[in-house]
Formats: sequence, C-alpha cells, structure tokens
Amino acid sequence: MTGPSPPVLSTSGLVAGYERDLPIVRGVDLTVRPGELVVILGPNGAGKSTLVKSVAGLVPVFAGRISLDGSDITAIPAQRRIRHGLAFVPQTENIFATLSIRDNLLLAADILPKDSRKSRLDSIYGMFPDLAERPGRRAGALSGGQRQMLAIARALLVEPSLLILDEPSAGLSPKIVAEVFARLAAINASGVTIVLVEQNVRAALSIADRGVILVEGMLRHSGDAKALGADPLIAELYLGAPRPGGASVA
Amino acid sequence: MNPQVAMDGLVAGSMIGLGALGITLTYSILRFANFAHGEFIAWGAYLALAAGAALGSVFPGLAAPVGPFSFGWALPVALFAAIGLNGVLALGVDRLLFGPLRQRRSSVIVLVMASFGAALTLRSLLEFIFTSRPAYFSKALQIALPLGGGIRATPDQLLTLGVALVFVVCVHLLLTRTAMGRSMRAVSENVALAGCVGVEVGSVIRVVWLLGAGLACVAGVGAGLLVQIRPQMGLDLLLPLFAAAILGGIGSVPGAMVAGLVVGLSEALAVQFVGAEWRAAVAFVILVAALLLRPQGLFGRAD
Repeated sequence: MTGPSPPVLSTSGLVAGYERDLPIVRGVDLTVRPGELVVILGPNGAGKSTLVKSVAGLVPVFAGRISLDGSDITAIPAQRRIRHGLAFVPQTENIFATLSIRDNLLLAADILPKDSRKSRLDSIYGMFPDLAERPGRRAGALSGGQRQMLAIARALLVEPSLLILDEPSAGLSPKIVAEVFARLAAINASGVTIVLVEQNVRAALSIADRGVILVEGMLRHSGDAKALGADPLIAELYLGAPRPGGASVA
Repeated sequence: MNPQVAMDGLVAGSMIGLGALGITLTYSILRFANFAHGEFIAWGAYLALAAGAALGSVFPGLAAPVGPFSFGWALPVALFAAIGLNGVLALGVDRLLFGPLRQRRSSVIVLVMASFGAALTLRSLLEFIFTSRPAYFSKALQIALPLGGGIRATPDQLLTLGVALVFVVCVHLLLTRTAMGRSMRAVSENVALAGCVGVEVGSVIRVVWLLGAGLACVAGVGAGLLVQIRPQMGLDLLLPLFAAAILGGIGSVPGAMVAGLVVGLSEALAVQFVGAEWRAAVAFVILVAALLLRPQGLFGRAD
C-alpha cells in the first residue's frame, strides 16, 4: 500500500515579515500536494502576499521552515529557488518592460541546460502563440493580459514543480481575467502544482482544488474549494460577502 | 572656425565617453552615482604606468616606440594588466564599502556619500604612492599628420579614438547579445524580479564593477597618453563624465559615447570661441540643461 504523495510545498511554523518585532505572517503551517491548485484567500492585510513572497525568498523569514519537494529551502536565496523548481509571478511589475518578449523568456531559459533551451522556448511559444507572433516586440508595449501571459510563460519555461502567482487578475478586465484563469486551470490540468493568492474569490475558487483562508497572518481555515465557496459563514466572515438579510461583519 | 577643433573635441570626447560608460553602467545597475569613478580612471592610468615601467625594465625592447606611435609594446601589455588590477581594486572597494552598505539596504544618499569618501581615499593613496607630480607614458614628441580639411592628428590620437570606439562596440554587443548583458539589463530594470527569474544578482554586480573599472582604465590610459597622468586627473574628468552619462541617458551605451563626444566637442568649441577658462563650465551647463530639458537623456525613455 502506498501512502499519500509527499508535498510539493510545506511550511511549518512560518513567521515572516519586514520587521522582526512586527511579523506579518505568524506561524503558518501550509501543505500543498502534487498537482493541486491551492488558492490563498483572506481579507486585505491578512498577509497573503507576504506569505507567498516569503516562500519565494523575497521577504525575510524569522522562524519556521519552508520545504520544496522535501528539501529545506528556507535559507536559499530567491534567485536560487527557481533552480529548485519554485517559480514565482509577482502581482505587479512582473515583466521586464524594457526587454523584448524573447529576452524576457531567455532570462528564464538561461538557467536551463544549453541543449534544452531551444526546445523549451519552442514549447512555450506553442503554448502562448500570441507571444510567438512578434518575439522581438518590447514587453512594455504589451497589454495587461499579454503581460500576465508573458510572466506566466516565463515562469513555466523552467518547468517548475511549483508555480506561485500573486493576484494574477489585478488590474485586468473581467474578460481578460476569465482568460487568465482558464489558462491557469489548463496549466494545472497539465500537472503543474499552483498556489494562487487572489482577491477575485469566486473566480479563484472555481478553478481551485482547495482554498486556505489567512486572517491576521494566521491560517484560519482550509478546505475543498467548492465547499468553501458555498459556505455562507466562511464567505461572510472572511471573503467579504454580506450576510443574507443582515449587516455584514465589520 | 578652425576645423582642428573637431578633431581635438572628438579625441577628448572619446575618453569622456569611455569614462561615462562606466558611470552609466554603475548608475543604472547599482542605483547610485559613483563619485569614485574618476579615481578608477586615475588609478587605471597609474597602474598601467607602473606595469609598463616594470615590463620595460625587465624587457627593455618592449619600451622602444612601435611604428608611428610614441610608446612601445610594453604599454598595450600593461594596459591589459592594469584593466585586471583596476577591476580587482573596484571589487575590493565594493567588498569593503559598497557591499556592506547594500546589505544594510542603505539609502542612495549614503552610498553617494560613501563614494565621495572612497574617492578622497583613493586619490590620497595615489598621491602618497606616486606623488602629485605629473607623469607620462612617453616623452617622445609626435608630429601630427594632416588628415585633410585642415585637420591634423597624431597617431596616438587616432589610435585612442579607434580603441575607444572598439570598446564601445564591444560593450554594446555584450549588453545586447549575451546572457550576461541580458541579466545586466534585467537587474537594471528590476532587481527583485531579476532575482525571481534566477539572475545571480551578485555576479552581475561583480561584472559591472569589473567592466566599469576596465573602461575607466582604458580612458585613463588614453587621457594619460594624450595629456599627462596626475592623481587629480579623475577628479577633473568627473563633471564631464556625469554630464555625458546624463545627457546620453542613464543605461545607454551608445548614448554615453555620443554624449561624451558632444561634451568633448562643446569643450573644444568653448576654448576656441569663449576662452579656455570657460572650458570647465561647459560640462556643467550641459549637465544642467540635460536635467532641465530632457532628464531621460538623448537615448533614454521618458517612462
């Protein structure tokens, strides 16, 4: 008999933030299994972005442990985590606007073995044909949706074991948001494990396997995404939905 | 107008352009104005002088002038040695001073003030080691060759101009055609994101120091070959270097060179039409005009 597959990501007792005396993430235990799409939800200021940034190595960790595919990566600098299979797409400024589309992708390809770079690039252009049309185009000239696709494409180029996205729908029109989420669902269906921080709760839960709710830097709830979306108390307390026929919790 | 002004301006401007290239690279990637860059120019010249003298004393044949030039093979060999040594010096300064400040996330003004301190220290060290008396790579006299149109230039001047252009093209190709250049441009735009995509930011910073110091060394040797070598030579060049870096657009390689030539030509024109005493003011006027009228520079983007 085989047990459950080992987690792609696990954090234990994670304390992180910008000042040691005032941590934003306060003792988070999070486990993400292979192939899962986990969405991190919570009210503004809950520490969702700080949590994923600390996993990506961009925010100091004061206590606890971060493991990726069973290896402790807590002390590994951000630029080496991608070599361990962790790709992170920040919320804003997630592309190099002054570089071409090709150069944005090649930056990620540079960490791959030389003999696999071209095939990976071709594969990414196949997945994102819009980017292949004019690879020499300056990335700063792309629309919001195209920029997000470029950022996701660059992250996927290294075939990460874990893809983390911080609010990929921020600043996008509803139509483009739907495209981005459909693309993320397809990427997850192809076997890529995804952790998503998102304010667009309904859309995120519609593609997620599991949702976790963060409040004041602590994990308050974790459960099946569909059940989470349907739970009126959870929706009211943590997701900003009004109580039917009553006042909302402040 | 005396057409010779154009040649004098171009030759001086090419050295300013090379120096400005180092300034613009460190400014765009390390995010501070390094006022010690002029000292790397002076140190480069003195290191080449010392290496050339050592080579000449061991192999006297290398000191004899080659062809139409005023110097022997010792100088080009010494130049390469000095580029390496100047790079080591720059890395040492970064290791001792700027690196720890970066780790403490010090503000830009702290880094700038630290660079002032580094400049004073490096210049004082030069005076202590080599004295403040001017030195020369060669005291051989050269006859300027007529180039047509009333313009004359010495072989040393033409060589210096050619070498400067070759280095600019090489740096441009490095930035636009190589993985390191791509990484440098990425760090220049967004250092945090560059780290996220796997760029080794520390390596990029080391390469920037090596490149900046190497270019400063070439500029110092060129300036020393055409005029003289003094511990103050870097300080004297500082304002024209910053004027060229800002006029060209921070981060732009062709911009730094073109703006260096503009500054050099403007200085030469000022000497002819206004008076030599106004030469130093030209770079200041260009710097202020660029900041007021086009702060992004000739080749920079307004965003």
